[in-house]
Amino acid sequence: MDIRRMTAVNTAKAASWASRLLGKGGTTFSGKLAMKMDPSVLKDLAAQVRKKIFVTCGTNGKTTTNNLLCSMLEAQGYKVVCNRMGANMLEGVAAAFAGAADLAGNLDADYACIEIDEASAVKVFRYFKPDYMIITNLFRDQLDRYGEIDIIMDVLEKAIRMAPDMKIIVNGDDSLAAFMAQETGNPYVCYGISEKVVSGQENSREVREGRFCKNCGALLEYDFYHYSQMGVYHCPSCSFKRPAIQYDASNVSFGNGLSFDVSGRHLEANYRGFYNIYNILAVWSAVSEAQLPTDRFNEVLGSYKPQFGRNEVFRLGESRVLLNLAKNPAGFNQNIAAVLEDKTPKDLIIVINDNAQDGKDISWLWDVDFDSLSHESIRSITVSGIRALDMHLRLKYVGIKSTTSPDTASAIRQKLSEGCKNLYVLVNYTALYDAHKLLQEMEKKYEH
Amino acid sequence: MNIKIVHLYPDLLNLYGDRGNIQCMVMRCRWRGIDAQVKEYRLGDRVDFSDADIVLLGGGSDREQQIVCTKLQSIRSDFSAYVEDGGTVIAVCGGYQLLGHYYDTPDGRMEGLSLVDLYTQQGSPRLISNVILKNEEFPYEIVGFENHGGRTFIGDNKPFGTVAFGFGNNGEDGKEGVMYKNVIGTYLHGPLLPKNPHVCDRLIGTALERRFGSSQLEPLDDEDEKRANRYIVERFVKEEKQASDR
Ligand SMILES: [Zn+2]
Repeated sequence: MDIRRMTAVNTAKAASWASRLLGKGGTTFSGKLAMKMDPSVLKDLAAQVRKKIFVTCGTNGKTTTNNLLCSMLEAQGYKVVCNRMGANMLEGVAAAFAGAADLAGNLDADYACIEIDEASAVKVFRYFKPDYMIITNLFRDQLDRYGEIDIIMDVLEKAIRMAPDMKIIVNGDDSLAAFMAQETGNPYVCYGISEKVVSGQENSREVREGRFCKNCGALLEYDFYHYSQMGVYHCPSCSFKRPAIQYDASNVSFGNGLSFDVSGRHLEANYRGFYNIYNILAVWSAVSEAQLPTDRFNEVLGSYKPQFGRNEVFRLGESRVLLNLAKNPAGFNQNIAAVLEDKTPKDLIIVINDNAQDGKDISWLWDVDFDSLSHESIRSITVSGIRALDMHLRLKYVGIKSTTSPDTASAIRQKLSEGCKNLYVLVNYTALYDAHKLLQEMEKKYEH
Repeated sequence: MNIKIVHLYPDLLNLYGDRGNIQCMVMRCRWRGIDAQVKEYRLGDRVDFSDADIVLLGGGSDREQQIVCTKLQSIRSDFSAYVEDGGTVIAVCGGYQLLGHYYDTPDGRMEGLSLVDLYTQQGSPRLISNVILKNEEFPYEIVGFENHGGRTFIGDNKPFGTVAFGFGNNGEDGKEGVMYKNVIGTYLHGPLLPKNPHVCDRLIGTALERRFGSSQLEPLDDEDEKRANRYIVERFVKEEKQASDR
């Protein structure tokens, strides 16, 4: 028994319990505390994982992908360490391991599924080297925290080089992620979609990352786009091209629910949003690579409850409310597309904050294609949050009217009482917790 | 009436919501019955300055900026003639740096266009902040967001504003941006123009003046814009005050 580790684990558990009682929901504090009491707590606990450690990185889809993978493993009867709540910096990762350990400071786990913030991977990998890393995609995100996408790529590449045996499972349709995976020299496999699914993407005004070959600087040529820079591409002036895709989705359909074939199997899920095809593909690839059984895959997809704020549905009396996190242009565009897949009348509330975790720089709002919100099915738009006035202006300059309501709670209440019973709430990061809590409480009231 | 807005290399220089600046200029023209057309030039295109009324040069990542700056020299003389003739330019972030003589980084020197007498040196850390500027030529404050590693020095040139909150050109001399003839260079994005309709209208005004000899702009209802601008001013002036009280 290691007394130091035991104390660290127990303190972290107590702190986590206390902070939950105080309603902070923050695991970061307990992880910080544990690492302070025993600097090697993370290293020691990670070493106790009996089989494999998976990590998930990438701008969008981390939490959904990681949690879905965890559910797949649990469905097979395995014990899994997972930072389900998405606390993905070093302290959050430490808190997940400490929280999963027993009171003696020992871990009883077959696998670990850990999502890691791109910039934090270099810190985390000092304590353990994962067996697999999923890279979902690389988009522009929270500019003021990381500077630029080049900086994110550099720091993530540095982390990958710290774990040369780690196998990378990468979205091959993303030229940036695919290029990076190849550059590191680590073993890698790709997933992707080789058939054209979405029409009209050629004319989209969407801001695309990675238009240029990272190898030689030439403008990449695309056979077609799925969205953003996702698609089938090659460089006209050097040998860089979309790598071979081992896990290739075909017969893709999406809209009301989505389905596709991969590795000779038909997969189905009742989720919205094209991006979820990639999330599911990533999990399929990871499970296949680790040679785990896939017999219950569809069953788990069917029963999977998304992490809060990811397509989360609330029933409030006769009203349906869908809460979705949208924290960067690529994510927002995908969310808007998902809103418009629903053709019935709806009200929309957009909440924009500019706290440190959101990114203090909100200029990214102007890279989102809000133009498409001038759609007949959208009956009203209310803007809220710290930067409601900016959001209001953003819409004004594409000729869309909105109502400003700084208090999100009253905005939601108002739409529930006078709206069309179908409400979408799109929020960025720090607005999510409050909106979720509020809707959950309201739902409980309706049940009683 | 119609004017042409030239957007230089949006495929490379589009980092900080430059689309918002374009959108703002177009809409504020349209609301006044002025037709504003946007012409985008890609790298390698021959840029025609003869029918340009407003030129926008945006910001990119260092790598993308490097690609642009090697190609920019071919348009230097035409661009310079346009500026000296009173052509309107709005250059933001990286675009602002490219207006000057050079940008020195540890990896070497990026040659600029030398359109304005200024230069930039890379520094550390990056200067990242909300920004409030004062300039008596404008009826109220200019607000935005800055995020730059470069320290820019403008010599005797007129700044775009004096810094009331934030860092400005270099974090030292209290100046932000530059104004030279009808050129405005600035680190402010966010984007710059929607919350600063007075700046947007000045750009449109100088462009109309040069093209048609009249710059009388019909006033617009700017209540929303002013409210958003005012919010930033009040919030960060308060923050500054609390910090100095401590
Ligand atoms: Zn190439």
